Amino acid sequence: MRYFGGCDAGSTYTKCVIIDENSKIVASVTNRSRINPVLSAQAALDEAIVQVEGLRTAQELAYLVGTGYGRNKVPFADENISEISCHAMGVHMANPDVRAVIDIGGQDVKGIAIDTDGTVLNFAMNDKCAAGTGRFFESMANAFELSLEEFSKLSLKAKNVIPITAQCTVFAESEVVSLVGEGKPMEEIAAGIQLSVAKRCFVMAKKAGATDHIALTGGCAKNEGLKQAIEKVLKIKVVDLPVDPQLMGALGAAEYARRKGNV
Amino acid sequence: MRDLSQLYDFEKLLEEANNDLVREAMAKGHHPVGSVCSLIPEPLLNLPGCFSVRLRAPRTGSIDIGTYYMSSLLCECCRAVLERAVEGGYQFLDCIIAPDACSQMNRCVENIEHLKCIEKEGFFVSYCDVPMKSDETALRHYVRQMQTHVLAPLHDKLGVDTSDESLRKAVAQHNQLCNLLQEISAYRKEENPRITGYEFAVLCTASYCCPKEPLIEKLALVAEELRTREPDRKPTFRVKVVVAGSEIDDPALIGLMEETGARVVADRFCFGSLPERMPIALNDTEDVLTQICRHYLEIGKCPRYMNAEKVLERQDYVHRLVQEYHADGVIYQQMKFCDYWGYERAYASRNMREKYDVPTLSIDRPYVTGSSGQLRTRFQAFVESLEIKKLHNGEG
Repeated sequence: MRYFGGCDAGSTYTKCVIIDENSKIVASVTNRSRINPVLSAQAALDEAIVQVEGLRTAQELAYLVGTGYGRNKVPFADENISEISCHAMGVHMANPDVRAVIDIGGQDVKGIAIDTDGTVLNFAMNDKCAAGTGRFFESMANAFELSLEEFSKLSLKAKNVIPITAQCTVFAESEVVSLVGEGKPMEEIAAGIQLSVAKRCFVMAKKAGATDHIALTGGCAKNEGLKQAIEKVLKIKVVDLPVDPQLMGALGAAEYARRKGNV
Repeated sequence: MRDLSQLYDFEKLLEEANNDLVREAMAKGHHPVGSVCSLIPEPLLNLPGCFSVRLRAPRTGSIDIGTYYMSSLLCECCRAVLERAVEGGYQFLDCIIAPDACSQMNRCVENIEHLKCIEKEGFFVSYCDVPMKSDETALRHYVRQMQTHVLAPLHDKLGVDTSDESLRKAVAQHNQLCNLLQEISAYRKEENPRITGYEFAVLCTASYCCPKEPLIEKLALVAEELRTREPDRKPTFRVKVVVAGSEIDDPALIGLMEETGARVVADRFCFGSLPERMPIALNDTEDVLTQICRHYLEIGKCPRYMNAEKVLERQDYVHRLVQEYHADGVIYQQMKFCDYWGYERAYASRNMREKYDVPTLSIDRPYVTGSSGQLRTRFQAFVESLEIKKLHNGEG
């Protein structure tokens, strides 16, 4: 059996997926990124390889594709492909009916329109600042002194939404601290934060040509509160993917590796 | 491909405004004239005894001072040029000739003048109006403005010979430069071009920033070398693109595009060669200045020309470049807060996709792009989508 690897060296998390000749996922890893993407990718690859019987080193992969912001730093990669193409392909592998994706990464937000074969039809990117990205949520969770998981569920209990007016991550954190200090309900503040990010996603989704359903990828796709806010703002269904949405970039990279390595 | 032997020298010329060729020309007594826009015909600023230096701000770091005087809502290029002036980067200039074409750049030059950034004795600034339409009335106005606000001050304040004979000499020299760049540019039409977009951008950008005579000598050497240069057997690029939009005065941006697998084969942007580096044809029946102005009015592709014919002509022109240079797509790029290109990019990039069926990437960008990871991702994703389209069409 030949194996194919995809390594998504993201700004916040490094993900690695290994698939077999039939595109079946045989190993996956999600690690917090270190400051050096080479070390992050190497560690993720090593951990993934251990999960596959018969594989000992990354060099034994039939083909390896790097993606993410550190894509050109992935050791032993045969090629690097942009995360935009890889997320589209990853979602296509997970659910071929999805035609539009919002990828909320650690430092940017992307809207991607997918063709019937998993390739990119069109894309839009918001990378001007950290507002609405994974970093933003981390900062907000810190302000609430909650874990990301706890924070993502907090807004689900809210009866009202307290709007957050600041767009900047730093100022939004100050605003949240002030609101908490005023004794406003934490879940309603959290709902305001989710709503502000959902609105940012609106533009990306529209540019990606979203109509009746959309998929979320990236670590923030696991945020239940955000998912609900996006459904409310966009008035479209957010599709649940059968594979961890944070792995979509790495899965797409692995699928590209399979296609290129099989030529 | 073997490196172009002259490339390093050209890159050095772009490191600062007051480069080696500028200093050599000044040592011969020639007057350096600062220029900020292609709407002032270049030959008028390159008459015997003077030469033009198009202002850039290479290796810009912070633009805080420029932003203080101009606000954060104006074009970063204008702010960076002001910053460089405040830093003393243009102290060598004898004058700046600025058209009231882009009001943001005009504010920049006004600030340079008001803040007395250039302390050289006798330094002056001359402003002129340039038309927003291209017709005979506009031409007459254009000629008067060039006569009054360009030729007259050069003659009166710097003692430059502005006679018809002198104008003809400047046009001849301009044409020599254009012919060399045209010859080099034509290699970009080859299936496997023997020159990269980055290399061409270095040569072409230098042609705006240096005295023409020594630059022509250097360009002639490059042209000679290129005549026998062999491209890599296996192309190192994946797709070909035309780049259109606002000014790109730093070839590093073209380099960044090419690092992701694109080959930039045509440059329809300010500081580019298409159509700015077209030779000027002169006859003996009409006065020379009018002919020069007519040439600039006719070839002008600046989005400042707002009449409908010009707007559509510009889109047609980019489409023609796509065909002529066998490009797979277009990258429309715009400096953030550039008013003219803001409208142009939105309209043209949509039409390029929908009317001409040409894949198009549309981006806005900061002045300093350097090794921007975000831009790299956009360019690479665009290259990948073009490559896949080629494969689907059986061209890969």
